[in-house]
Amino acid sequence: MSSSHEIPAIDIRDLRVDYEHFTAVHDLTLKVPAGEVFGLVGPNGAGKTSTFKVLASLMQPTYGEVILSGVDVLEDKEAARRVIGYMPDLAPVPRDLKCGEFLRFYARAHGLGNAKQCAERADECLEEVALTDHKNHWCHKLSRGQTQRLVLAKTMLHSPKVLILDEPASGLDPLARRELRSTLRKLASQGATIFISSHILTELAEMCTSICVMSRGKLLASGTVDQVRQQLGDDSRSITVVPLHVLTTVPDWIQQFNGVADARIDSGSISLDFLGDDEAQANLLEEMLRRGLRVRSFTEKRSSYEEILIGVAERSRLS
Amino acid sequence: MNHPPICRAWELWKNPIFLRYCRSRLRPTAVSVACLLTVMIAGFMFQMIRTISENRVDLSESDVERTPLIPLLILQSVILFVLGTAQASGGMTAERDEGVIDYQRLLPMTPAAKVLGYLFGLPIREYVMFAFTLPFVIWGIWFGNVPSHTWLSLYGVMASTTILYHLTGLLTGTIVKNRRWAFLTSIGLIFALYTVIPQAAKFGLVFFKYLTITPTFEESVRYLTPSNIGDTWETGRRLLSQAKFFNLDFSEAVFTYFSQSCLIITFFVMLCRRWKDADAHLLGKIWAVGFYAWVQILLLGNALPLIDSGKLFPTQQFSRFSYMMRGKSWEPSSWETIAMILVYGLLSLLFLWVLSGIITPNFGTQINGWRRANKFGRKRLPRLADESNSTGFVLLMGIIGGAGWFTFTHMLIESRWFPGHFALPSLAGFFILAMITCALLHQMLLEAKGGRAVFLSIIFLLVLPLMVASILMGASDRLAPLAVWIGGISPLSLPALCAANHLTITELPLNISRAIPGAYIFWQAVYLITVISLTKTLWRTRKSTKELV
Repeated sequence: MSSSHEIPAIDIRDLRVDYEHFTAVHDLTLKVPAGEVFGLVGPNGAGKTSTFKVLASLMQPTYGEVILSGVDVLEDKEAARRVIGYMPDLAPVPRDLKCGEFLRFYARAHGLGNAKQCAERADECLEEVALTDHKNHWCHKLSRGQTQRLVLAKTMLHSPKVLILDEPASGLDPLARRELRSTLRKLASQGATIFISSHILTELAEMCTSICVMSRGKLLASGTVDQVRQQLGDDSRSITVVPLHVLTTVPDWIQQFNGVADARIDSGSISLDFLGDDEAQANLLEEMLRRGLRVRSFTEKRSSYEEILIGVAERSRLS
Repeated sequence: MNHPPICRAWELWKNPIFLRYCRSRLRPTAVSVACLLTVMIAGFMFQMIRTISENRVDLSESDVERTPLIPLLILQSVILFVLGTAQASGGMTAERDEGVIDYQRLLPMTPAAKVLGYLFGLPIREYVMFAFTLPFVIWGIWFGNVPSHTWLSLYGVMASTTILYHLTGLLTGTIVKNRRWAFLTSIGLIFALYTVIPQAAKFGLVFFKYLTITPTFEESVRYLTPSNIGDTWETGRRLLSQAKFFNLDFSEAVFTYFSQSCLIITFFVMLCRRWKDADAHLLGKIWAVGFYAWVQILLLGNALPLIDSGKLFPTQQFSRFSYMMRGKSWEPSSWETIAMILVYGLLSLLFLWVLSGIITPNFGTQINGWRRANKFGRKRLPRLADESNSTGFVLLMGIIGGAGWFTFTHMLIESRWFPGHFALPSLAGFFILAMITCALLHQMLLEAKGGRAVFLSIIFLLVLPLMVASILMGASDRLAPLAVWIGGISPLSLPALCAANHLTITELPLNISRAIPGAYIFWQAVYLITVISLTKTLWRTRKSTKELV
């Protein structure tokens, strides 16, 4: 018998979603191990929301298989819905319920016990998202950030094994984002697998243990952030060396050093396009010091996640 | 993974959706205001009518107590049928418009439990308001000595009618996407289904009357009014129609349950399908054909037994007394017979178009079906799946509709009222041909070009020619033959031309009756050729789609 850790929490096989002549998701295959915080990144129209909707059992794909915690979503929706927590983009709330009532309703609908147990669980979740004071407030009168947190609380109510969060951080202030990160980490540490999409890529990189990049319905790369960077062919870094004494030309040995793609003098500093790995970079600095070049500053700059994504989107558009 | 269900469909008291609406719609402030208003109105009506009856009219004690019953019944109908239905439709639309419907889709409950939760939860305040009118009604029933079979059947039918109307509201709230249109459509649909379409009962389609509470109410009036009025009413009512289904006699209440139940079950199935899969067709193909056949059986079963007695004919009901006063015996006129035949044909065709619209897949659904089939190495689409084309099923419905229409016509024309006139069985082919031509034309246009093309065709091919023909017909007798030809452009006039051409009882002006055969043959041929050509085009498109994906 295999342990639950051997079964991927999210197992997507050959998933395809079509809208008449437009293919939103193109034969996507993806496995996410249990306990991961997994990010889905991609420009608009990449197929993120369609993928999420299929995962959440809200949409019938053209074909494919989606297995969440061992439950086939397309075959047994009712069972799948017990293991899924789904938070849509622009999380809506009803106008006719108060926050406490809203959570108690879903607690009851997920069969979390009698009225008292449901109320207790609702209170716990409100506390998790720091909305205890708003228990008796109307849902629709909350601010955008508070609404997001309330819906996150609703999503967590039945302690789902897989949380599918579509842009959960949008509308949150920096403090709330930090709280969201810690809440997600806590949930992941408790064994939940979190599948999350966001346009704020730096934040996603901070939150996620691994990510995947989609564009035009196709999976371009997946793995840790660094692996994805490598897979997308954007592993270059630029290095700026500020010597103590102004140089007019770049020494030949620097230009010929292993990993240096290009070197030039820029306002008295040496600007390098470096393709080598971390080891090669350390060797370069060591060589500079050995050769007596007095270095006032040695700065590395890698392309930002936004730049990577813009590159992906551009390449995808051109192709 | 077998989990016990959160609640079984019938366990309403455990249904979270029902309880959620009990919470939100029964807040003390709102519900107390609603109940106070209800009690005020009901109490005012009850006391005012009783006081007047007691002091100004010479009535027995029990008759006095009966007098407020009908006004109270009207108040109850307004609460349940109007306010309740608006709430069912508006509440469902609001759920979708606010976006929270996806949360409900994700609840681990069966579709049936969800539908029942909404059905009884959304109008819960109206049920409470209704409950507050009951003490006055119970007083009237008790002290007015209303027999138990009367109020039981009346309130039983009121319950089934309420469920039917609320299901209609839920359905329109579920399927119409735009919030404003959803509200207007639900009001329009309910108005049409339960007030306009039942008028077809006056043209021989008695079944439609049983979608409302009216027949049972009419049957109960005798005991809901003072005895002198009740007796007069009953005498008049006995002269009119009564519930018959082929050779079986039913009470009005039983037949109302019988008629409403098929619609209630069908609407329930539609809602469950949509809760199961938001993109699913409202009905499966087999269900649609079965439903259509069942409605045809109900229409015929109701209408045919009333032919010989003449109770089917509108003029018998409207002018029986004027004939009696003039000392003449009543006889049906040929124009009303033709009108009844046309109404039957047209309603059968319109209903067929609605069902065809429900089961015909759009291009996107079909292409996705082929992609799925290709992926799994299948050579054809599953015959009954939503993505599979509906031509065969529409053809079958066309045959059923044509056969039903012909049976109605045959029984009417060959009845004792029209000696010397015949509608020979050989004519059935023409009736069926007209019906399937119109049915397939709609289905193929929908499949090939989509809903927008059908909408434009309805305006420019269906309605406009009839408008022009009507103007020409009214302008001059000389232009009447031209009007027949132009009216023939509309596929809706094909059943009319078919009936007018083949039946001998038509008494049309000479210039019109001369134009009809030519117009009928020409337009029947044109539409048949169009259908054949569309069939070929669609067949090729389906083949290329299959190869394309």
